[in-house]
Amino acid sequence: MFKKIMTMLVVLAVLLLAACCPPAATEEPTGEPAQPTKPATEEPAALSGEVVEATPGQALDMVFLPKNLGNAVFDEAHEGALEAALELENPQELQYLAPASRAAGTEQIPIITNATTQGVDAIMISNNAGDQIAPAAQAARDAGIAVVTWDSPIPSAEGEQVFIAQVDFDETGEVMADMALNILGEDGGKFAVLSASPDAANQNAWIAAMEEVLEEDKYANLELLDIVYGNDQSEESYQQALALVDKYPDMELIMAPTTVGIAAASKAMQNEGLCEEVKVSGLGLPSEMASFVKNGCAPEFALWSFEDLGYLTYYVSYLLATGDLQGVESEQFAAGRMGTYTIEKDPTRDEGLRVLMGPFTKYNAGNIDAAVNP
Amino acid sequence: MRRLGWLKSWEGLLLVILIVIIVFNASSTPHYLQVQNQINLFQLHIEKIIVALIMTFIIINAEIDLSVASVMGLAGCVMAYLFERGLPFGVCLLAGLLTGVLAGAVNGFMVSYVGLTSLIVTLAGSIGYRGLAHVLLENRSIGNFPEWFDRLGQQPLIGPFPLALIVFFVLLIIALIILQRSAAGRYVFVIGNSSDVARYSGVNVRRVKMILFIVSGSVAAFAGLLLAARLGSMRGDTALGAELEVITMVVLGGVSIFGGTGSMFGVLLSILIILNLRNGMGLLNITGEIQTGVIGILLILSVLGPNIGRWVTEAWNRHRRVQHMHDREKGG
Repeated sequence: MFKKIMTMLVVLAVLLLAACCPPAATEEPTGEPAQPTKPATEEPAALSGEVVEATPGQALDMVFLPKNLGNAVFDEAHEGALEAALELENPQELQYLAPASRAAGTEQIPIITNATTQGVDAIMISNNAGDQIAPAAQAARDAGIAVVTWDSPIPSAEGEQVFIAQVDFDETGEVMADMALNILGEDGGKFAVLSASPDAANQNAWIAAMEEVLEEDKYANLELLDIVYGNDQSEESYQQALALVDKYPDMELIMAPTTVGIAAASKAMQNEGLCEEVKVSGLGLPSEMASFVKNGCAPEFALWSFEDLGYLTYYVSYLLATGDLQGVESEQFAAGRMGTYTIEKDPTRDEGLRVLMGPFTKYNAGNIDAAVNP
Repeated sequence: MRRLGWLKSWEGLLLVILIVIIVFNASSTPHYLQVQNQINLFQLHIEKIIVALIMTFIIINAEIDLSVASVMGLAGCVMAYLFERGLPFGVCLLAGLLTGVLAGAVNGFMVSYVGLTSLIVTLAGSIGYRGLAHVLLENRSIGNFPEWFDRLGQQPLIGPFPLALIVFFVLLIIALIILQRSAAGRYVFVIGNSSDVARYSGVNVRRVKMILFIVSGSVAAFAGLLLAARLGSMRGDTALGAELEVITMVVLGGVSIFGGTGSMFGVLLSILIILNLRNGMGLLNITGEIQTGVIGILLILSVLGPNIGRWVTEAWNRHRRVQHMHDREKGG
């Protein structure tokens, strides 16, 4: 027993020594492609009103970090980012890293920390850990890494240079209320919300925006019965949708501001033969919703293009990492096929900057085929 | 040769696995041996490995504490909740710690004095304490703790070492001495082997179990506060699911899930294996399901390993016996 303890202490001592005094070589640059020269001394283009253009061909290590694996929208965003990478002729492969599909939000932290250790040039985060991500993101910023959030920002904006906002959060509320009115008709009716998780910042903001819009006279005939959560799991969302039907016999519409929720609710209504009585709407993916639009279960839904979101995010991150963009208010830049954008103060948070992508596309029987098979 | 005999034991196998992982990591990525990476490797999971130390005692004692992750979350949430209400920060920290003591005492009382199974008691506890954390913080996140607190959680304290890492090594040495060199440690093993034998030998089984659960709750609460400092803010779901990773570390370390056997040395090796494996995979950009899957396979092997080892030894002995008889026949 004593020997074991001694051995253990020796192992410990060796490990501590290894931690304290690494071979000198590891401290030196690691023979990876040289960092692009950052023209940091040039004056920011912000004030001159000049539109910053990207210089293709820079070798930049970039990490694309969605909330988790196994969600189709993040794969689409990845496609968009890859398209931009090809266009910008970045010889370095884009790293698509994500926690497991049911992992806690804080599982994004080791990925950011390891990327910082690797000395990558840019990290693009769809934040799933609220402000708890901030210390890791700040450490990346301190190491000179460009940190951009997309889809879901860091609430305090600490450690984040700019947030690529898909749409104006207030607009989301109005779009949902309009679709509800459109489906239920002028006489209105009763509806319920099937959301993701109670902690999901985006969904909560959109629902709050919708509740505000519902106060207006135009929507006086719409009555919001309840808000339930399917935690962005298909089965759970399916069960919650059916539970809503049981609980509110006079409910005519389920509004799901999440792609997982809307597909699960549509499937539930279809399988139970309830599509005549209860319609489904919200935010959905055209590829997943096409059949439900055609059979009338979900006559209309909306979404922005996640592919465009990934594309725009990559452009901004590339420009920040090369130093062409400084990441300050009112800078203008060109993002390839998507045109010119401006960095602005984010009105939805106390601090922080954003690039607003927009707009919404509403999908219905008229345009769903074109969206699925372009 | 006899001195190295223990290398053939479970710990020996773990040590070999650890060395293989370290050599592989060091040769596959130049970032692995950097000081900051070696610190990060511990720091990213530091709260869980601290809790694994006390979990080792609990499992050797033939009990289990599934509520540790919820106690971590609840302690942090109580602290954050009181802080938001403007109480002095010292009071908030103390209240967080007391939450853990209390939760541990409730678990311990139910197990030792009411006589319920710890699996059920702490499963209920994990649901209850987590629920309470959600009630306190609802959907919000509370942060902006005093700067010194965040600094303590995120910056080095002595040399390159942050506070939590120093705490871990101090607790490790204390745990090692208590478990393997003290009378209290022997009681833990004896009770784990058979609580009836322990009782008839005059060991106060109830008191030992009660103390273990209180310490477990307290250590978990302390770890929860360290986590709050590292993350800079608290949410109701913080540390969700951490108990499974903690138990994985202990079981992989060779501690029998039925109690009675195990060593701190094995648990330390298992902790180092899991941390180095995670870090190496992270630096090689292996994340998500694959990373989780590899850890899962490791755990399955750790359960199968001793059995496979026994089969192989038995098969080998049988083979040798047959060979021996064969040779004798030939010779005769």
